[in-house]
Formats: sequence, structure tokens, C-alpha cells
Amino acid sequence: MIELTRYFRLWLKLASQSFMRELLDRWNAGLFLAGKLMRFAFFVAFLLALFADAPIIGGYSKEQMLIFFLTFNILDTATQLFYREVYRFRPMVVSGDFDLVLTKPMSALFRVLAGGADPLDFYMLILYVGLLVYIVIQMGVVSFISVASYLLLLINGFVIATGFHILVLALAIVTTEVDHTIMIYRDLTMMGRVPTDMYHQPIRGILTFALPIGLMMTVPAKALMGLLSPWMLLLSPVLGLLFIVLCLRVWQYALSQYASASS
Amino acid sequence: MKTYIQIIRLTWEEMMEYRLNFIMWRVRFVMQRLVVYFLWWALFASRETFFDYTQSTILTYILLSGIVATFVTGTRVYGVGELITRGDLSNTLIKPINFFSVYAARDTADKLLNLFLGIIEVALLLSILRPPVFVQTDVMPLVLAGMAVAIGTVMYYCYAMIHGLLAFWLPDVWAPRFLSFVILEFLTGALFPLDILPEPLSTFIRLLPFQYFMYFPVKVYLGQLTVLQMAGGMAVGLVCVGILWYVMAMMWRRGLRKYAGEGR
Repeated sequence: MIELTRYFRLWLKLASQSFMRELLDRWNAGLFLAGKLMRFAFFVAFLLALFADAPIIGGYSKEQMLIFFLTFNILDTATQLFYREVYRFRPMVVSGDFDLVLTKPMSALFRVLAGGADPLDFYMLILYVGLLVYIVIQMGVVSFISVASYLLLLINGFVIATGFHILVLALAIVTTEVDHTIMIYRDLTMMGRVPTDMYHQPIRGILTFALPIGLMMTVPAKALMGLLSPWMLLLSPVLGLLFIVLCLRVWQYALSQYASASS
Repeated sequence: MKTYIQIIRLTWEEMMEYRLNFIMWRVRFVMQRLVVYFLWWALFASRETFFDYTQSTILTYILLSGIVATFVTGTRVYGVGELITRGDLSNTLIKPINFFSVYAARDTADKLLNLFLGIIEVALLLSILRPPVFVQTDVMPLVLAGMAVAIGTVMYYCYAMIHGLLAFWLPDVWAPRFLSFVILEFLTGALFPLDILPEPLSTFIRLLPFQYFMYFPVKVYLGQLTVLQMAGGMAVGLVCVGILWYVMAMMWRRGLRKYAGEGR
């Protein structure tokens, strides 16, 4: 417990430094924020355009589709808010500066994973959560159990996303490649903007179990709308747990391969 | 000419310096196309048409727009921003070569490699997925689509260069570039054809130059535009090229007056 508190205080310190750094140039921060808002607005416009031509797509209504899209955005933005430092890891390995992290009295994984929170994603997260709450209230079909299941499965999705980021870091140590790997992950998660059960087989199966994007994004939204089967509700956290344990093993292996080549 | 051929060869070597990075970059291109392809494939699961598009025309649109995008928007010009902010532009200025020609040569290298690999990758996707694609057999749309790609290519060169030249006035050009990427992601028609959007939004977006980077050439290929629309589109495209070229040249002249070689 003491250790957990220490890491929480450490994270607050690192996050506040990162926030100050990112907001130093207000003009740039404003442009980034505008870009994020535009990306969101454009895809919503696309979804609304589709629903103008068909009232039901893949068995889902417009409001349900927006819930899937907002759940995708909440998870995607939360992971970027916490794990932005992953995008800056490659120069650390290439230059040998990772040595400096290894010598510090804290978990190296914690530092390179969560050492640089992004304030702009924090603002976006507020917007997405607000919109989700508004749509859910408008639909008026949720219960306490569905909200609790949603939150539980959202945390599970975050754990799986954490696993993916750990894998990217591990790959960076072994190969010094991060830039494209993390963007491939981002591109793949884009498939979660719509419910993954809309896709044809075998894509649907791959997105649910092999690359668990469905577990991350579609399953929580379905739980919120009361569309999830009980066995999936039980299976998802188990799969999430297995995935993160596997990713941590891979990280331990990668760390043993670090050669500190450029330092 | 020999100098510029040498620049093309050096750019290829530079691009393939980190082999895994290069491979992952191509994997990413394929993944991006697949993500959009699977989305549209899923949307057509319960319908014959969406708007005026059949499954065949939309899948052709998605795959072809991938090749067009990789050629038109493949560029090395985005490095210009860092070149200016780090003061490395001084190295180019003292050499007896034209700055814009150097980057045109570097872009040529990038586009040729992109086109070569893009065709192979899309051919692989076609052989694996076997989607119902539309093959244009008329010569006229093919020729005009080629012309539209040429217009889009020159326009994109100016557009990307203008972004880079902003570094004469801004300490960091990454934020405007990010905004530009977001705009390009949607307003070029990479995710969906622009004419599926409701009016007047669709008409407004098609008045912007972004459609020439992807949407317009592919629509010409599909033969979905009238002769008047094609001729009008080409004429407006050429005017846009002229305007962007003028802005680019003006920014270069004014920027050089401001440039102090900071960072050297």
C-alpha cells in the first residue's frame, strides 16, 4: 500500500511537470486540441451521414453506434493521457539515455510507460464522458448493473491497452523500433470505432480474441446497453488478466536483452 | 540532372537505412487500407448500395485511393520545418543547387518507391481478399485520372512545402502539421467518398483543394463525373496549384529575409 501511494505521488509529480511542459506553448496546444476535436467531429459526421441513408446499420441504431464510438474514444484517449511517454521511448533507447532510467530507484516500466501524461487528452476525455452520459440519459435504458459492468469492462479494456503499450516498449528495446509499431496499434484500434461484431469472420474472431480490440472497446459498450451475454462478462476480465501477465513476461525478457549500445 | 538522380538514389538509401522501420512503415500502409476496407465491407453486409455506391465501386474506391494517396502524399518535404528551425538550411543555401529542385527530387524518390510498393501491396490484397473491384476499360477516364493525379501531386508538394516554410516564423511546426494530417485524413476522402456527406457540407468540402489529393482522381477513374465536372475540376485544380505555388514562393522569399541560421 505504501509502495502504491509512493508511485501515485510520483505519477502526480511527473504528470504536473508534463502538463506544464505541454502547455508552455499555448498556440501549439490550441492547434493540437483543435485537431483532436476535428478528428472526432469528422467521424461523427461520417456516422451521421451513414445513418441518413440507413436507420439501422449492422443491427445497431444511431445512438447505439455513438455509444460504441464514444467508448472507443474514452479508452483511446485515456491510454494516450497516461501512456504518452511510450511515443518518446525510442530516442531514449537509441541514445542510451534509458540507462539513466534504469539506475533510478523506481520501476523502469512505470517511468517509460506513464512518465509523461498529456493534458490535452484530459480535456478531450471530459468532453467524451460528458457526451456519453448525455446520450445514455437520452436513451434512458441503463441500470445500475449495466453501468457497473461498463466501468468494470472499461477498466479491463484499459488493462489490455496497457498490455499493448508494454509490448511496444519491449519491442523497442529489442529492435529500437517504436514509431510505426505504436501507430500500427493505433490504426488497428481504429477498427473498434464501430462494434467489432459488425465485421465478417474471421476478422470478428481475430478482433475479439487474437487482437482483443473487441474486448477493449465493443464489450464494455454492449454491457452498458444490456446486450452482453453473462459468460462474456465473466470471460473478459480473465482474458484481460492473462494478456497483461503475458505482456509483463515479455517486458522482463526484453529488459534482459537491453545492451545499452549507444551510451 | 546527374545531381538530382544522385539525390534520388541517396533518398532511397536513406529510406531503407533502418530496415525494420521501413518494413513496419509498409505494414502500416497495408493496415490502414485494411481497416477502411473491412469497415466498408462490414457496412455492405446487409445492403446492396450505400448512397449511389455499390460494394464494387466503394471497395475499388478504397483500394485505389490507397495507391493514389501513397503517390500524391508521399513526400520528404515535411523535413523542411526541422531544417529551418535547426539552422541546417544554411548547408543547402551555400550549395550550387536549387532548394525546391532538391526537394522535388527527394519527393520523386519517395513517390516512386511508394508507387512501386503500393501497387505490389494492393495486388497482394486483391489476390488474397478477391473483392469485387471495378476495372475501368475506357482510355479517356484513365488519361484524365492520370492528369488529376499529376495536378494533385504538384499541389501537395506546394501544400507540404508551405507547412515546412512556416518554420521561418514558428519555433515548432509539429502542431500545424498534426492539424493538417487530421484534415487530410477526412477531407481528401481517404475514409469515405466526399459526396456521401449531406449538402451543403459536401459541396463546401469539394470546393477546398484537399479533394485533389485523393477523391477527385479516383472519381475520375470510376467514371462517376460528367465531362463538365471533370473539365471544371481540372481547371479549378490548376488555379489552386497556381495560388499555392505563388504563396510558397512568397513565403520562401520573405522567410529567407528573416532566416538567421539559429541553432548552428
